[in-house]
Amino acid sequence: MAPVLISALEADYILKGIDDNLRADGRGRLDYREVILETGLITQAHGSARCRLGEGTDVLVGVKVDIGTVDIDGTEEEVATVKAKRGRVVCNVECSPIASQQFAGRGADDINNELTQMMSRVLNGPQGGLNLEKLCIIPGKACWIVYIDALVLDYAGNIVDTMFMTTRAALFNTQVPKAIIHDLGDGEVEFDLSEDVEEWERIEGWEHVPISVTLNKIGSRHIVDATPLEELTTEAKLHVMVNRNGKICGIQKSGSGSIEHSLLNEMVQTGRSLGQNLIISLDKMLLQEEYDINEKRMRNKPVEKLGFFAAT
Amino acid sequence: MSIHFLFPKPAFSAGNNDQKDQDGDVDMFVRAQRDNFESKVVTPGQVITADTQYMRGHGTYLNEEESSHISSVAGVVERVNKLITVRPLHTRYTGNIGDLVIGRITEVTNKRWKVDINSRQDAVLLLSAINLPGGVQRRKTEADELQMRKFFAEGDLLAAEFQGSFNDGSTSLHTRNLKYGKLRNGSLIVVPPALVQRCKTHFHTLSCGVDVTLGLNGYIWVSKHSSKNLDELDPEAIYSNDNEPVDRSTRETIARVCNCINALSRHFMCITDTIIAYAYEASLKYPVKDLLKLEAMEFVTTEVRHKLSVVRSIY
Repeated sequence: MAPVLISALEADYILKGIDDNLRADGRGRLDYREVILETGLITQAHGSARCRLGEGTDVLVGVKVDIGTVDIDGTEEEVATVKAKRGRVVCNVECSPIASQQFAGRGADDINNELTQMMSRVLNGPQGGLNLEKLCIIPGKACWIVYIDALVLDYAGNIVDTMFMTTRAALFNTQVPKAIIHDLGDGEVEFDLSEDVEEWERIEGWEHVPISVTLNKIGSRHIVDATPLEELTTEAKLHVMVNRNGKICGIQKSGSGSIEHSLLNEMVQTGRSLGQNLIISLDKMLLQEEYDINEKRMRNKPVEKLGFFAAT
Repeated sequence: MSIHFLFPKPAFSAGNNDQKDQDGDVDMFVRAQRDNFESKVVTPGQVITADTQYMRGHGTYLNEEESSHISSVAGVVERVNKLITVRPLHTRYTGNIGDLVIGRITEVTNKRWKVDINSRQDAVLLLSAINLPGGVQRRKTEADELQMRKFFAEGDLLAAEFQGSFNDGSTSLHTRNLKYGKLRNGSLIVVPPALVQRCKTHFHTLSCGVDVTLGLNGYIWVSKHSSKNLDELDPEAIYSNDNEPVDRSTRETIARVCNCINALSRHFMCITDTIIAYAYEASLKYPVKDLLKLEAMEFVTTEVRHKLSVVRSIY
């Protein structure tokens, strides 16, 4: 059960430990816990993934693509012409009450809103990575809308990083059905969805989707991947979104403390280098999983998704 | 600095209960136990026995035709004469008088504190049930009532003894002993309450030089060894909010013990001081932070099981 309160003595112990580069569980300041990752566990979704960080934080992300109309009402003409030729991404994050007692009842509303806005800003923004133009079917009329739903099933610190990692993995796993466009002449265009599952394509641009690195400022140092007790002693948090090329796609600060200029610079650079390493490991893992599945299929062996029946 | 990714592992296949040793013999004692429903692990909805001569206790109910006893929780079946109960594996802590528990203050109210002890309700710690500075037998004054946060504020961790229950089921605690009180110089681990066994004392000092306080409610405090004798303890200092300085090697040992306890709890093994000591020795093979990895945890727990079976076979 994640504590909502912490004693001054515990906070002091944690602070001194971080100063000494030895956290309460023996990790250094920049060490992550182990991640258990699985994709494709929800058969009804176009893409899905589940990440467990340490034995705690558990995030499940499902991606569904649906046909929708282009939303250009009330925007100026220039913006409207751009929007008419793109699909869009709609995010929703929900922290389930089973994750922690603090999420029961209305307790999770604030954090749900914050996380949803964060994801939405990053994925719909210019550095979101996904090729939104490719998601347009008929300009001005029909496009693909990518619905990304994240569900936080368990909480042991560091929801944001896990959420972005899982979203990236789910988008890797997402297959978009093929739309066949029929030109009826006279400017009338109609489209049909291909019945053949083999023609579905992986969503384009998944590899440019950024992930986040959360840096927690405690005392005069910063750590990554905080446990709930460490998060309670954090003065300020900095979420740095980094993409594969090492470019910073977004920065968000939360918490009531302040960060000095030099420390801010240092934290952003740390976030950047850690983020790049994270993406490399994550991609290696995703490609390995896909390779294993293809191997099994070729040898006609059954492909089993463990999902929630996994022992670990 | 690098992050590790893993694939999920499948659950063990639950078929190999008959373990044959090298002569091909099967342990008949285990077999006999299984035919009798006692000590059987059951899941909700599983039939315990079709014999209606037994009375049903906590965790059981009769099915519609009233012909068999069914378990309503996941746990171990216990039988006392004609009473069948099922003791659940994962449950909130239900206390008995005299238990040592570790709690966290959640509220400061009129002449009492509300303490979270991982139970169904917060426990109550009365102002008259704590040691007041300035002598153990000092009577509480009005000034004390107004300054309750000077003793325990919200969020503080303390070790207390279960004193009794009120009529409405809420429990009351006391810290009327110098070994109870605020916990300092260490960190907290939470495990399922069923894993902590009742024993003679719950304050242990491990050979590696750390103190472990095993709360029966599943909260375990691992801290630096306090070498002070109880008589020398300054009554004023028991409520101070300062930690003693902890050097790096002690910190590492505390982290190692914490990770060992975590590994034991993940594999649902009992937690006592000897088991923690075995786990500690087994864990020395890995650096402290690697003990968070699944393979290290599995290694430690298999070693502990092995040592326990060796010890048992001697007796």
